[in-house]
Amino acid sequence: MNGNWINQSKSLSTVARVLRENYDLWNYREILLPAIEEAGEELDRGTKFTDGREFYLIKPDITSQILSRLTAEKKRKLFYISEVLDGETSGDWQFGAEYIGGDKGWMVLEIISSIITGLESLGIEDFYVDIGSKQVWESATSDLPDLRDEVFRALYHRSFDLIDDLDITEKKKDEVWRLFNFRDQRCSYTRLNEILKTIDDERIFADFGTVRGMHYYEDLTFELYSPATGSPLGYGGEYTFRNADACGFAFNLESLLDVFTGLEGRDREKLGGTNKKKIRRARDRVENGVTIEVKS
Amino acid sequence: MKFVLPRGRLLDDAIELLRQAIPSLTIEENRELIHSNGDHEVLLAKPADVPTYVEEGADVGVTGRDMVREKSADVFIPLSLPFGVCRVSVARPEEETSSPEGMEGYRIATEYPAITREFFRSLGVPVEIIVVAGSTELAPRAGMADAIVDVVQTGNTLTANGLEEIETILESSALLLVNRISQKTKFDRVNELIYSIREVIKNGT
Repeated sequence: MNGNWINQSKSLSTVARVLRENYDLWNYREILLPAIEEAGEELDRGTKFTDGREFYLIKPDITSQILSRLTAEKKRKLFYISEVLDGETSGDWQFGAEYIGGDKGWMVLEIISSIITGLESLGIEDFYVDIGSKQVWESATSDLPDLRDEVFRALYHRSFDLIDDLDITEKKKDEVWRLFNFRDQRCSYTRLNEILKTIDDERIFADFGTVRGMHYYEDLTFELYSPATGSPLGYGGEYTFRNADACGFAFNLESLLDVFTGLEGRDREKLGGTNKKKIRRARDRVENGVTIEVKS
Repeated sequence: MKFVLPRGRLLDDAIELLRQAIPSLTIEENRELIHSNGDHEVLLAKPADVPTYVEEGADVGVTGRDMVREKSADVFIPLSLPFGVCRVSVARPEEETSSPEGMEGYRIATEYPAITREFFRSLGVPVEIIVVAGSTELAPRAGMADAIVDVVQTGNTLTANGLEEIETILESSALLLVNRISQKTKFDRVNELIYSIREVIKNGT
């Protein structure tokens, strides 16, 4: 956190509060995790240190931290707010949600819908969620099993050079580029098409050039962004956890601050009048979950 | 669109390439750090900062592969560009005989701490990295380092300072970088630019 940290902290706290309310309404439960964990096979991303005997991680990757503590027997809907370190002493503030062990089709619909309602609660309307598919690329490269990693690497960097250098026919290169540049609200992948139709929001796109974290995710991956900022607002996707389907998403809170212009009083009721009237109404509003601002 | 170009040895070639790809783009010769030109804005930055500028919001940038690797920036890299060819290499005093595998405990001076760390870690050789901001080749002579990892073009600078290049870590040239979000929000303009630059490169002009 840089610059005027008090103001930034205030904004960060407001954004986190609104998102927390949003995920409460979607029936997700907040989890609080320790800042330091012992490093291990399941947990190796974070800022590492040692006491001379063991290796530890400070504020590690939260999804891994959650998964290292869970068994998959139960359906779980969780959210968290944390700074995540990746080898440095400062990192990204994230607000993440994980839906584990639910119906595969429903979990994607719910996670994307929760992203939409969360942003709208913040007054952010100018955004897009692009959905990519690992399955689509695996089908497209089924005849190139030896080159699949190279194709994925080219996709990740959007590298013309790497595609040009692939030992494949020009026709296949054209097919790869067509897929790479595909972005639309309808697509030929039935499963994704159904999701787009069901969500029915003009800001949600199928984009087969969205390939972030391809190795980690099982099929669908999401990238959230706004034309108002050059940094992604968040990302997520489908994964499996101990044979259970799961879907997760993390907002990058500092990027959200780039597009968050404040709640402009929409989140609170202003109370005036006599002290007696104000205090009675204030108690009533607070008991009903409404934030108040009392005029003095 | 917002461009960020590297000050220094890559600048003239980068400007020439963009001028040919976008005839409407003009950049004054006065080397001011920011040029506005109708639809376009051009920023001049340190080569090492270009990946960060592009990651954080500039639409398009040009810098060396060495800088992109060092910064590990999350950006698209659609094209290699035909200039700025160099390499990042390990060098040590000519009178020494050690190879990188035998450099355990060496003090390595470099402007590339991440690349150096990754290289020696891949060899399983623990070294002490001393980060310098330039004139790396002076470090062994000044007694502050046993060897260096530095960018090499002809090797003349190393020779002049009594150093021998013993292993190439990375072959580098200039790269075109594109912001991940600009690729989506300015899809047609970014693609048009990439195709124009490819044509310029293909025509060898």
